[in-house]
Amino acid sequence: MAVFLQSLISGILIGGVYALIGIGLTLIFGVMRVVNFAHGDIMMVGMYLTYLLFTLMGIDPFVSVLISFPLMFFFGGFLQKVFINRVLNAVAQNQILLTIGLGLIMSNTVMLIFTSDYKILTTSYSSSTIQVGGGVSISTPLLISFLITAAITAALGWFLLKTDTGQAIRATAQDRDAAQLMGINVSRMSVIAFGLGAALAGTAGALISPTYYIFPQVGGTFTLKAFVITVLGGMGSVVGATLGGILIGVTESMSAVYISSGWKDVVVFVLFLLVLLFKPSGLMGKSRT
Amino acid sequence: MRKHLLALGAVLALSPCLMAQKIGVINSMSGPEAPIGENITNGIKLADEDLKKKGINLQLVWEDDTGKPQISMSAMEKLATRDNVVGVVGPYTSACSNAVAKLAEKYRVPLLIPAAAKEEITRQGLKYVFRMNAPADKYASSLIDAAASLGKPKSIAFIYENTDFGTSTTKTAKEYVARKGIQVVADEPYPKGAADYRSTLAKVKSKNPDLVFMVSYVADAILLMRQSKEVGLQPQAFLGAGAGFTTTEFAKERAISENVISCTQWTNDVNWPGAKEFGARYKAKFGKEPTYHAACAYASMMIMAETAKNAGGDRAKTRDALKSGKWNGVMGEVQFADYDGFTNQNNHQMLVQQILQGNYETVLPAKFATKKAVYPFPKWK
Repeated sequence: MAVFLQSLISGILIGGVYALIGIGLTLIFGVMRVVNFAHGDIMMVGMYLTYLLFTLMGIDPFVSVLISFPLMFFFGGFLQKVFINRVLNAVAQNQILLTIGLGLIMSNTVMLIFTSDYKILTTSYSSSTIQVGGGVSISTPLLISFLITAAITAALGWFLLKTDTGQAIRATAQDRDAAQLMGINVSRMSVIAFGLGAALAGTAGALISPTYYIFPQVGGTFTLKAFVITVLGGMGSVVGATLGGILIGVTESMSAVYISSGWKDVVVFVLFLLVLLFKPSGLMGKSRT
Repeated sequence: MRKHLLALGAVLALSPCLMAQKIGVINSMSGPEAPIGENITNGIKLADEDLKKKGINLQLVWEDDTGKPQISMSAMEKLATRDNVVGVVGPYTSACSNAVAKLAEKYRVPLLIPAAAKEEITRQGLKYVFRMNAPADKYASSLIDAAASLGKPKSIAFIYENTDFGTSTTKTAKEYVARKGIQVVADEPYPKGAADYRSTLAKVKSKNPDLVFMVSYVADAILLMRQSKEVGLQPQAFLGAGAGFTTTEFAKERAISENVISCTQWTNDVNWPGAKEFGARYKAKFGKEPTYHAACAYASMMIMAETAKNAGGDRAKTRDALKSGKWNGVMGEVQFADYDGFTNQNNHQMLVQQILQGNYETVLPAKFATKKAVYPFPKWK
């Protein structure tokens, strides 16, 4: 029982971080219909930013989220305005090529500056745990990142539902032309959406950095996970991405225990394939014409 | 005219001494294995200095394989065909070394592997491939014997990375524990670079193993121990089979590395000729303690260069000289012999060390030990 609870809890906690990456990707797709292949690399930039703030200025990784969130927002906005905006009406393949190219530039620039050596952030609480009784322990840094993720998701939900800008973003995601006819500045919405997506990815990187290692090629694995989560949850659905993230986290964790560590990725992808076979638009997505 | 001919004759006569030996190096200088690859690079640089003092000039051709076997294969092709090196020292990882070994045989370039563990590399009857370090079966036997001599373990759990290094070391360890009557209660391979081992470790914890045997590279070793502490895995001993468990990065993580036992090819307090001086010199020059990889690489380059020079830069003669030679240096006695199904394998004595107060201390075999081992593993704070 302890093993079951332990794997369930660690699955949920890490699923929270996955969800954050997925939400960022789904926002970008929902508003711009651009599949952002550089998403994992943006997360990687967030990780290195956190690393710099920690080693150069001694700022705790969780506290530095307050700094990295806005910085990554502006970075995302910059990327959108200068690069992505130009391909919004282009053929999908060109959009993909552009984002892949941007991702490559990001990871290789970071590799030139920092070398490929793995960096590990060690804080005073990196190895500490909270004992929950019954032999189950929760990793303190993971718990904190889950709580922060929950707070950010709640804030994002409030932003999208209750503020004018948030509603404008949702309108643009629903139907770009109609939104434009209603007087919404859709290009500004695209910039904000990409900025938000990048900020969320960068924050996910910041949150996971105390428990993982940092290296320039880390983006690739997370881009792939983000895709699985986003498609699983339904492209464009924030709630779907949240559910998808937690589902993937728990699946990975459980299959590592009950099947084998080496097979957990296979289980995740099989699950993904099954959802696509029986509900192609994803768990919460609506079928698009 | 006479004077010119005389001068020319003198130069030609002296030229073998002035001619630099062109030796290739394949190493993981960037990428995930770079922290360990750095030790190999520095060991070779120290060897280069010492060889110059002996009058042997080297022209080293450095190739970075970034830890990927396919890149080390193309590096080998380049060294063998375009650069025309007399011999190659390297690569680092088992996966890369195994990939390159067959190419070395094909191109008939003597290859001296400094630190790769996978047994099969020198079990293929390849005449041009030599290995300096003790292979995986020794990693397993030295660790298990150490644990058996310190306590009475009855069960063991294996957690290992799933490429050549991890799988071959674990396979041979499982065979060894079967002979020793220790039961295997968990067998968990993991993909390199995974973020979260907590559920795997919780599963291992529930089986209550006396020993936890881990085979990992640098980054995974740190994460595994951190997460072992989190889930409260409490065996009689943590056994780390080389690589990630022998680096300074690992020892620096005091909260999680203390009292971990690992096996190693070399430590800086063993009484092989020049070993202590090598350690001190490395630390003075590069600012940190060397891992065993540095000593293996140093010895390999010294041997390769001297042999190549004496063979006049001829590949076949160098190979023969490597086969028949005997050396005694920082790695102790070195001889590449055929035994037990191995070809050109140096029957190297492995050492067992433990991290005590943040430092690696040799604890076994007794004749080399500097401190007494701490056993069983104390309770996590």
